[in-house]
Amino acid sequence: MKVNRKLLQYIVLAAVLIVGGYAIGQSLYHPSPVIAKGSSIPDFKLVALDGSVHDSAAYAGKPMIINFWGTFCPPCREEMPALQSIYEEYGDQVTMIGINLSEDKVTVSNFVQQVGVTFPILFDRNRMTEKKFGLRQYPTTFFVRPDGKVMEMLFGLPLKEEQIRSRVEALLATS
Amino acid sequence: MNLYEFSQRALMTAMLVYSASFFIYMIALGGKKWSSRKSPERTQKWGWYGFAAAAVGLAAHVTFFVTRWMAAGHIPTSNMYEFMTMLAMAIMMAFIVIYLIYRNVLLGAFTLPLAVIIIAYASVFPSEIQPLIPSLNSNWLRLHVTTAALGEAFFAVGFTAALVQLLRVVDFTRTDKAGMRARRWVESFLLVILIVVGFLISVFSFRIAGYEVEYRQVKVSVDQFGQQTTTERLVTYNLPPIVKPHGGEIMAADTFLGTTDSLFEAPSWLKGVNADRKLNTILWSIISGLILYGLLRLIARKQLGAVIHPRLSDINPDDLDEISYRSIAIGYPLFTLGGLIFAMIWAQVAWSRFWGWDPKEVWALITWLFYTAYLHLRLSRGWIGAKSAWLAVVGFLVVLFTLIGVNLVIAGLHSYAGVS
Amino acid sequence: MLFENTKCECGHQNPVGTVLCEYCGMPLIEEIKTDPASPLEMRYDGMARRSQKSNPNLVDRIWRFFSSVRVAVWLIVLTLIGAALGTIYPQESTFINLKTSEEFRNYYKQEYGTMGEIYHALGLSRVYESWWFVGLLVMIGTSLVICSLDRVLPLYRALSKQQVRKHLQFITRQQVVYQGPEPQDRMAWLDKFEQALKKKRYRVWRDGDALMAEKNRFSRWGPYINHIGLIIFLLAILGRGVPAWNMDQYITLYDGETQQIPNTHYYVKNEKFTVEYYSDEELPQSLKGTVRPKLFNTRAILYECTANCDDPSKEPVLVEVKKHDIRMNQPLTYKGLSLYQFDYNDKPKLLSVSPVLVDKTTGEKYGPIHLSIRDPALTYEAGPYTLTLKDKFMDFGGFDSEGRPMSKSREPNAPAFIFIIKGPDLPENGETYIYFPNQIDKVRFGQDILNKALVDKLELRVEGMENVSIAENASTLNVRMDRAMPFVWTGAGIFLFGVVIGLYWNHRRIWLRFDDGVLSLGAHTNKNHYGLKTELAVMMNKSGIEVTVERLDNRRKTV
Repeated sequence: MKVNRKLLQYIVLAAVLIVGGYAIGQSLYHPSPVIAKGSSIPDFKLVALDGSVHDSAAYAGKPMIINFWGTFCPPCREEMPALQSIYEEYGDQVTMIGINLSEDKVTVSNFVQQVGVTFPILFDRNRMTEKKFGLRQYPTTFFVRPDGKVMEMLFGLPLKEEQIRSRVEALLATS
Repeated sequence: MNLYEFSQRALMTAMLVYSASFFIYMIALGGKKWSSRKSPERTQKWGWYGFAAAAVGLAAHVTFFVTRWMAAGHIPTSNMYEFMTMLAMAIMMAFIVIYLIYRNVLLGAFTLPLAVIIIAYASVFPSEIQPLIPSLNSNWLRLHVTTAALGEAFFAVGFTAALVQLLRVVDFTRTDKAGMRARRWVESFLLVILIVVGFLISVFSFRIAGYEVEYRQVKVSVDQFGQQTTTERLVTYNLPPIVKPHGGEIMAADTFLGTTDSLFEAPSWLKGVNADRKLNTILWSIISGLILYGLLRLIARKQLGAVIHPRLSDINPDDLDEISYRSIAIGYPLFTLGGLIFAMIWAQVAWSRFWGWDPKEVWALITWLFYTAYLHLRLSRGWIGAKSAWLAVVGFLVVLFTLIGVNLVIAGLHSYAGVS
Repeated sequence: MLFENTKCECGHQNPVGTVLCEYCGMPLIEEIKTDPASPLEMRYDGMARRSQKSNPNLVDRIWRFFSSVRVAVWLIVLTLIGAALGTIYPQESTFINLKTSEEFRNYYKQEYGTMGEIYHALGLSRVYESWWFVGLLVMIGTSLVICSLDRVLPLYRALSKQQVRKHLQFITRQQVVYQGPEPQDRMAWLDKFEQALKKKRYRVWRDGDALMAEKNRFSRWGPYINHIGLIIFLLAILGRGVPAWNMDQYITLYDGETQQIPNTHYYVKNEKFTVEYYSDEELPQSLKGTVRPKLFNTRAILYECTANCDDPSKEPVLVEVKKHDIRMNQPLTYKGLSLYQFDYNDKPKLLSVSPVLVDKTTGEKYGPIHLSIRDPALTYEAGPYTLTLKDKFMDFGGFDSEGRPMSKSREPNAPAFIFIIKGPDLPENGETYIYFPNQIDKVRFGQDILNKALVDKLELRVEGMENVSIAENASTLNVRMDRAMPFVWTGAGIFLFGVVIGLYWNHRRIWLRFDDGVLSLGAHTNKNHYGLKTELAVMMNKSGIEVTVERLDNRRKTV
């Protein structure tokens, strides 16, 4: 009987440690509601302007620039040529994609043609991807390392070519 | 006379009969001191008269409840007025149960005034029948409110027995430090009761007189973007202004003591819905309570507790101790079921989360935790007598805060009560 | 090391720490031995609890700490205080728009001044998720487990092997006692008394001329059952935190709109949202003329995707699985998923227009063509004319830094369509035509001036409101999944059951023996002595011994 009691004590206390530890640990760990530096980007699978399907899993291993934009957002329109320039320069080393903020195909394709964008433009549907990424401002551009973790996020003001270039160099340095 | 008016008459009848029952109970008790015939049979006989009166009063009260239900088309528990009157009814039901078990006349003498005070307090709020908003239209809500009230009613009876026990047990002849402290606690508690009575007297006196002061307050606020917004607010006081709204100007006013001026102005940092009016009401309650207390002290020329204490010397405090505990033991499962479980079920069905740490929910939990501690201390740690009585008294204060304080002081999903 | 003498005079060897002999009930501890008048401490029938051992190691000390009721009460009180502190100011979880610690600090400072700032700094603005509050609950859970284990085993042992013949001191020092001359015929009286006991539903055991009666033993298990219920409840709450087991999100749908429920293969459609108001007759005098909602109703259809679910380039194939009118208090439930009515807004939204193409020279009307505001088709036929959609703006207005026209937002506040119209009497490459469905925009932007090439020849216009489709309301639904809920309710139910049997029934036991012409009777209950005394008095009177309730009272006097 005595041995059984001791065993019972140990089992109970061990269970308490595990369950309690989990409970308290959960309360200490606040998963950030927004994506921040160092967090992994969420998965997505979206259709591109050319009709092909792009799966984020396919981008693993290469640094990535994701630009969320809309035709209704003036800074987004302003920075598009800069992004296109960078794409022409670094397109083979860095994946560049633009995700449109749930607008109609005709609106998007018009603007894309006007600017002469050649990097993939993906369509978000019903704002689901922008919610997944926790976007609160437009434009938002993510600079993602090859391991899928965010190196930096920029939003609000239109990006200049120099700003994009310096970050691209930083991304390439990490790979 | 339509159903609604009939129900109001029934409630008034109930209140009067309860008061009559209270007097009969006082006769039953007082007989020992005033009449030469000191017989327990006499006490018991008058006790039964008092009980009969209480039962008649309860019948009238139930009539009020049922006819109001018929008039409204839904069970009358959805605003402060309806809830409080229902609570008083539940307390009387709990009293009947406990009285039938223990036949304690003293309990009657103290529980009936509690029921009357609660009905009076309920009458401060608008008594009109209001239609339900969709979120309140649920059977789970009805179950939650009524069962919780029943549990709280038993806590109330336990509180009454504990209060009497303390008045009996705290020695008002002691002059040592611990004794004085106990006496002061009991005395403060009696003062608090008088403040509540003072509140009721003030509110009803000025209401009967039709007193009103209307203020217009203009607030200019600047938000974080530097935008200025100007809001205008009209607030009506039904008590003479001791404290008027910050920067308020009088639109229309009755005079009191020959003036319409207030004594003070509410500070600008006082926030909250109608905080200035509530503060004014609280100040009035405290002042009238203190005046009442002062008058009674003058007449008695000693601490009020010391006046009551000797009259209770024939009572066995152990009986009161047991009544108090038993009431709480009966009420605890009811409160758990009604105040927590049904509340969780209703919250899950209505708001899709069974617990949201809403202030009202939290205070219901605090009430539950408190009585859990009470039961543990009593059953496992042997806390009986005065210690347990104090807990029972404080416990009911927690219940009152949950019912009234949360609505008044804290805002949340739950404060649908209406008027302050 | 001090050896305690635990062998009782009746011969039974008791474990160390036993207060009353397990066999005959005689008091063993010195303090209570020497005071013959004081009532006995009957907790756990005087058995030794496992935690009262000498020379404890760390595990023993931890066990003893958590098995103490004093500690448990402290934990309850601390939780109580912590919970109360969280109600002083609204908690962070009530603010949906604020997210970071910085934002909260500013908010509390702004709204509540320095007190608010301190409140936030101390972490009191998020009490219920804080590590110390959760820690308190964990400790309460631990205490529940250990307290119960520590007591239920000795109690079970004590109650399952009870002796009928108890030591005289055991009997005479109970809280309800009778001692008097034995009745004429000992055995006959015992039979009569047994009858009276059985009538009151007691179980009776006899051992010669000693008797023991017991009823409602099950009530003693109440506390342990309710503790189990609480443990299940707490574990279920913890389980809710596991991501796979719960979901809580919001979907806003216009009338007629279907959307996917994120992270699932389910889609939900709002067929129509309606709000019913109380009529003036239903309102009391003071509220007449006001707008007071009576009922919110979303006619909803839940679909499951059966094919093309993960392929964004194709339309998912949907199968209807449930149809339900979602109202307050009446969610749509399907396989653990629940959709609740949360909110609505009544801002109407233009869905589509069906204009006709009018040939202004002949007066002939062609069409109508169906123009959807969202995702419109790219080509349209109207009589001999072909319209190709070249560009579309949701909220026309303004120009960007390059002078190109652009939309101000994504909302269809001022939709504009740019067509290339080809057909008879028109240039081969077509003519550009800009069309504003809203009349007010037509005027504001001067549609006729912009279309000056075609203004005398063609016009695209809507005839009659039946050719306009508007969604009147948008309904917001709260989608939730909570796999742990059944356990929450089970735990709560078991708790209630335990509390009810523990408090509404009382465990009562009566022992009696004869010694030298004296009948000694003692009775014990864990609660409600008044009821025990009353019942005992009735039974004894029935058996022929006159006794009053007061006479039976042997309680220690309360202060």
